[in-house]
Amino acid sequence: MATLNETIASLDRLPALPSTSVRLVAMLAGGGTQASLRDVEQIVRQDESIAASILKLANSAAYGVPGRSFSLSDAVRRLGTRTLAKIALETQVSGRLANAGVSYGLRRGALSESALGGAIAAETLARRYRVDPELAFVAALLRDIGKLAIDAIAGPDALEAIAAQADARPFLAYEREAFGADHAELGALLCERWGMPLEIVHAVRGHHEPPSNPADPVTDVVHAADCVARWAGLGLGCDGLLYPFNAEARLRLGATRDELEALVADVHSALTPAATGLPNLRNAA
Amino acid sequence: MSRFQLPGSPSTLASVGAKDEPSRSLGIDRNARERLVVGVADLAVSKDSSKSIVTYALGSCIGVTVYDPVAKVGGMLHFMLPESTVSPEKAAANPAMFGDLGIPMLFQKVIEAGARRERLVVCAAGGAEVLADDGHFRIGHRNRTILRKIFWKQNLLLAADDTGGQHSRTMSLKLADGSIQIRAQGKDSSLWPR
Repeated sequence: MATLNETIASLDRLPALPSTSVRLVAMLAGGGTQASLRDVEQIVRQDESIAASILKLANSAAYGVPGRSFSLSDAVRRLGTRTLAKIALETQVSGRLANAGVSYGLRRGALSESALGGAIAAETLARRYRVDPELAFVAALLRDIGKLAIDAIAGPDALEAIAAQADARPFLAYEREAFGADHAELGALLCERWGMPLEIVHAVRGHHEPPSNPADPVTDVVHAADCVARWAGLGLGCDGLLYPFNAEARLRLGATRDELEALVADVHSALTPAATGLPNLRNAA
Repeated sequence: MSRFQLPGSPSTLASVGAKDEPSRSLGIDRNARERLVVGVADLAVSKDSSKSIVTYALGSCIGVTVYDPVAKVGGMLHFMLPESTVSPEKAAANPAMFGDLGIPMLFQKVIEAGARRERLVVCAAGGAEVLADDGHFRIGHRNRTILRKIFWKQNLLLAADDTGGQHSRTMSLKLADGSIQIRAQGKDSSLWPR
């Protein structure tokens, strides 16, 4: 359907992520070196929608102090760089993904909901397995961003014909046959172009096929989180469940069935509008 | 959430949890105003014969429908996990998440709405599996098992089912006649009547 060159060229047509997100997420890399709060505040001030989200969160019941409202500098200090990076990206990525996934037959809002559900699962698993939780959250949030590229090459429901013929092979193999690259690889290339830290690029690339030699704990966590999201019924297009759960990654994590099933229930509950403390978490499907 | 509150009077439309969906064109029932949508971990019961009950994206989850062709009352459950013991707190908040609690609740609600147990036509779809699951998780399989276990205990028979595989399914129950459509891999098919 498309050559690898045509597929790669389509990446250039996709708008880049706003620099606010990129600059904040870059601060998560390398174990999260402390950027000065003034730098962070300056970055945040340049983006009204993010500044508004941050103020709303800092003054929300979860973080706020009753009877007191916080300025933007207070808010930056209270929430910290890591939370801010998470919010900035969440705000901007969910907008980008809200209409995405049409080539997979996904309904409006389904892909942004799945991105967030996976991100919540990854954050929880990361805490358990001693991986940087914010980094895992952001990587999981971006894991399916390559589906934007597939949408750009193929029209609405274009993959249905492929899925109708599919036997029990991983769906990535069909994507590679049709487009020269799969959505995980395309997502990694996009993240690279957008200047995302390498840890995130690797996790996006390996989120369906986590590498073993050497293994990467963030990728393992994002991989497991992706399966948890799928079991919660999130992001299921015509590709369905045609993705393996990598047994080696499971063994490396030591994840048990009860633990992951409980997480499936938690992720579902976390996505109900009443449960979300963060702004703009859900686009009505 | 007030998912499980039935309207007090049995003569009113008894629809639980589901909402009318604004727009989505699918092969099934294109008129959105005639559709009650059951979300994941959700159930709906209705006797409004102008409507269909629909659920999307059944992967490892299972959709169960019950329909009384005489009273023309029907219901649908979309459960996610087999057993509530993995998360008692979530089960208390939303029993429809789990097969062991959701299935009995579906029967109870549809009988409260006027259906008779011995007339119920029961169907199921979903229970797909992720690829190459090395037997460790098998959530789709275990969802199918809990369904069979409960039906065995209750002496109920499945009239038709479309379960397993790796694909995602959409299930739709037409309340006028109890017919059930499945959409999977870009194709529509009739699950009931066969």
